[in-house]
Amino acid sequence: MKKSATFIAIILLLIPVALMAQSKKRFSLSGTIKDKATGETLPGATVSFTELPGTGVSANSYGYYSIIIPEGTYTALVTYTGYKTDTIRIDLKGDQQNNIKLEASASQLSEVTIKSSTSRSNNILTAPAGAQKLTVEDIKNVPVLLGEKDILKTIQLLPGIVAAGDGKSGFFVRGGDADQNLLLLDEATVYNASHLLGFFSVFNSDAIKDIVIYKSGMPANYGGRLSSVEDIQMNDGNNQKFGVNGGIGLIASRLTVEGPLFNHKGSFIVSARRTYADLFTRLLSDTTVKKTVLYFYDFNLKGNYQINPNNRIFVSGYFGKDYFKIKNADGIDYGNSTATFRWNHIYNNSLFSNTSLIYNSFNYNTHFQSLTNNVTVGSAITDYHIKQDFNYYINASNKLDFGLESIYHLTQPGAASATQASNYNNVVLQKRYSLESAAYVSHEWTASDRLKITYGVRLSELNVLGPGNFYTYDPMGNVNSNTYYGSGKIVKSYFTPEPRVAASYKLNDSSSVKLSYDRTAQNIHLLNNSSAASPTNVYLPSSNVVKPEISDQFSLGYYRTFNKDQFEFSTEVYYKNLQNQFDYKDGANLVGNENIEADLLFGNGRAYGWETYFKKKRGRLTGWISYTLSKTERKINGINNNNYYNASQDQTNHLSIVGLYQASKKWTFSTAFVYSTGTPVTFPNAKYGVDGAPVYAYGERNSQRLQAYNRLDLGATLYVKKTSKIESSWNFSIYNIYGQSNPYTVVFQADPKDMTKTQVRQTTLFKMVPSVTYNFKF
Amino acid sequence: MKNAINTIILSAFILICSSCTKTVTPTLNNVSQLVIEGAVSDTTGPYHVNISKTTNFYSDNVYPTVSGAIVVITDVTANITDVLSEISPGNYVTHTIIGTYGHSYEMKVMFEGKSYTAMSTMPNLVKLDSVGVDYEKSDNIRPIAEYQDPADQKNYYKYSMRKNGVHVNHFQAFDDRLSNGRYLRDNLDCDTGTFHRGDLVRVDLVGLDKGAFTFLHEAEDIAYNNSNLASPATPTSNISGGCIGYFSAQTVSSKTTTIKSGR
Repeated sequence: MKKSATFIAIILLLIPVALMAQSKKRFSLSGTIKDKATGETLPGATVSFTELPGTGVSANSYGYYSIIIPEGTYTALVTYTGYKTDTIRIDLKGDQQNNIKLEASASQLSEVTIKSSTSRSNNILTAPAGAQKLTVEDIKNVPVLLGEKDILKTIQLLPGIVAAGDGKSGFFVRGGDADQNLLLLDEATVYNASHLLGFFSVFNSDAIKDIVIYKSGMPANYGGRLSSVEDIQMNDGNNQKFGVNGGIGLIASRLTVEGPLFNHKGSFIVSARRTYADLFTRLLSDTTVKKTVLYFYDFNLKGNYQINPNNRIFVSGYFGKDYFKIKNADGIDYGNSTATFRWNHIYNNSLFSNTSLIYNSFNYNTHFQSLTNNVTVGSAITDYHIKQDFNYYINASNKLDFGLESIYHLTQPGAASATQASNYNNVVLQKRYSLESAAYVSHEWTASDRLKITYGVRLSELNVLGPGNFYTYDPMGNVNSNTYYGSGKIVKSYFTPEPRVAASYKLNDSSSVKLSYDRTAQNIHLLNNSSAASPTNVYLPSSNVVKPEISDQFSLGYYRTFNKDQFEFSTEVYYKNLQNQFDYKDGANLVGNENIEADLLFGNGRAYGWETYFKKKRGRLTGWISYTLSKTERKINGINNNNYYNASQDQTNHLSIVGLYQASKKWTFSTAFVYSTGTPVTFPNAKYGVDGAPVYAYGERNSQRLQAYNRLDLGATLYVKKTSKIESSWNFSIYNIYGQSNPYTVVFQADPKDMTKTQVRQTTLFKMVPSVTYNFKF
Repeated sequence: MKNAINTIILSAFILICSSCTKTVTPTLNNVSQLVIEGAVSDTTGPYHVNISKTTNFYSDNVYPTVSGAIVVITDVTANITDVLSEISPGNYVTHTIIGTYGHSYEMKVMFEGKSYTAMSTMPNLVKLDSVGVDYEKSDNIRPIAEYQDPADQKNYYKYSMRKNGVHVNHFQAFDDRLSNGRYLRDNLDCDTGTFHRGDLVRVDLVGLDKGAFTFLHEAEDIAYNNSNLASPATPTSNISGGCIGYFSAQTVSSKTTTIKSGR
């Protein structure tokens, strides 16, 4: 109650500020910005006016814009990356609705493209510090593993975002752990974004419109994760004509169908993928390999319908599954599913509303079968989520975003079922229930044509709910007390106010500085004490023992464009203070453990770093160089004498270079180089015998490092046919061309050839992986 | 179970891409530490305590013995104290103590002015029923320990093996945390190619207390699964004073079988 009162008070305080100083008659100009050819909305497209320097608006995530300006005649410039800037004459005498259709840059249609010279939106100067937006167009020529363009892999070439390593699915943002990234697909949380344990991400680029990444300056409408937001939007589907596109590759194929519905008032898109690595393995003679089942499939579906100018509904969903089995033996299957229903409603020209009902779920099953065992272990997390957002366009320099949301989390930490003849009993760990709610308000204030400030607060609350037994533990990890709470009873509540401030100041037409402070909180924690890419993780909600993780981040950046926006340069520094971080006790046991919380140790952390980014945006040669220098440490009671130590994701230096070269209308070449300091590891410092077998002793945790990671990838695209009806191309790529042995695992073991000795064996996953994909579109 | 998951993951990767494995020699620190392994069991004595020092990872598996320590084992329940004699370098043996179910034993080692102590209580006997053999993989024939886990208590076990009378340098620990009251048929892991047709296998089912089990369980993870541990650490010893190793008052039940198939 206290919370919502505060919330209302804030809104009431802000409105008068916003309504001040209105002399001349003012009217609103609003509408939706879309692609002319496909009808896809263009989130983030901007509208500005030559007559009103410094005044402008960018479209929200549904392509809707609204601005209140004095009556008059204007020349409006509508810009969006990759599209021709449209100049519109506006004669504003009353509130006006103006739906704008932009044409994709000519270069994109007639010849192979390197991003439009027509678009000059210098986004970099106005976007919040730490925010970055990529469209699928931006990533299409960047070489990736096995030729599948992948938006999640490409962002790992940007400053401050680093991959967890070959064969590992996660990525780390500014020192955050892999579970501290909020991955949203049409607003639904995706808990595990990996297919084939990290080969691919679950985001099929054919179904994706764009991704917006926040490393800092997180708007108050996002919450629930500590270190970053990756907001991914699916395509709405072409509402002008039917289209089919797809690709056939060595390991995976995909197909997308889209088209108009209800007399162009709606549209749909359906996209599917399937891998078939196991078809090849069946051809091999080795019988164990032959019996291997190994594939994934996924579907993306979306439909929308414009009921009338003020109401539009969207339904979207994702379903994917990975199978990973040796026939009649051990195996894993896992998958995500999401469903989102959204209703856009325009109350009046300046108030836009979106209501979302969201469902998402992640589950996995592990199966063990041998002569003596037949056991299935499963775990799942399911969210039921309701969300209401408002965008209130008060006037040309004030916008208010506010809303409410509530997520009901249901976690099943683990259930094991075993057959009669097995060695294990059936185990069902208690389900956990929690309700995560938040209210937010954020005021975007264009103070002058140079200064823009966005500030707001997110008030989040977690209620840990019964039914269930809740334990407390002594420092040794023994159960101190055990209390039963009935269904719906509140076990514990955590209330966290999360202030967010981001300011940008334009020094001149080509440079700006930005400053931000955010506090974020996280209530769903991923436990995984294995270094392998195993999907068999345990999701643990905050409880009476595990407190919400909290991060306070300060970020400062300088941004500059050169040579009429042909080059872009940015440099940012950040400092993060982290509370309620955890690590594992030595010998922690995560499998089927009712008292898993007793195996955790808690403490604090800090992360700081410097990022630089230089990008060439136009010309035959384009690309970027990104460099990050950073440090991430933890200080956990009970580890390394309670001193700060390097977190497992700490990588001192990280460099990525991406180059794209358009050699001719037919050929485009690309390259990517990645270098990063090896991640911290704990290696033995002695050995001894236990029952005659060699066993190892270890010193301080994470006191050594793996060897540095580096690789060079090359790619080439050949456009064979490019007509208005059909488009087709071949994509060739080689991952890790010079065959660098980057470590996946390092094993300390007895030497199988000489049992009087021990040895260190290092496994590398990807030593030069070539691939070919044929892509088509008609 | 953990091992199994990682094996499939790795085998799948190997299937679909050009992975490779090679021997590397990263620079490793070398810190010498004291290691004590001691046991009292329900079999006839004498019982042994072995004291040694750790060695460099890249050296041979030969551990410097530690002589001149004073080792005392006390049957706390019966109040009998036994001062051990060093019969060969680093090998100390008992004289009078007799292992008895339910009795608690204290081991005290004094060396270079420091003292190391441990307590262990001998559990009740769990009898090994029989030894089976898993012939599924012809190059890795594995014995199966078959026994009934008692439902009315927490049980901790270790399996050890002898091949034609010679100790096999491979140990495995197991507890009934997820298996209480089951009839167990547990595969005993061993290095590839350990057993062949005609080999005589003896399996010992060793009953432990919690402290000894914790050390052996963590040591097993370190010895055979270290690459999958996010935070490998020296196993937690049940001996206080700052050394590696364990002291166990344990029960032993043995059965033998002959390998009938394979190469």
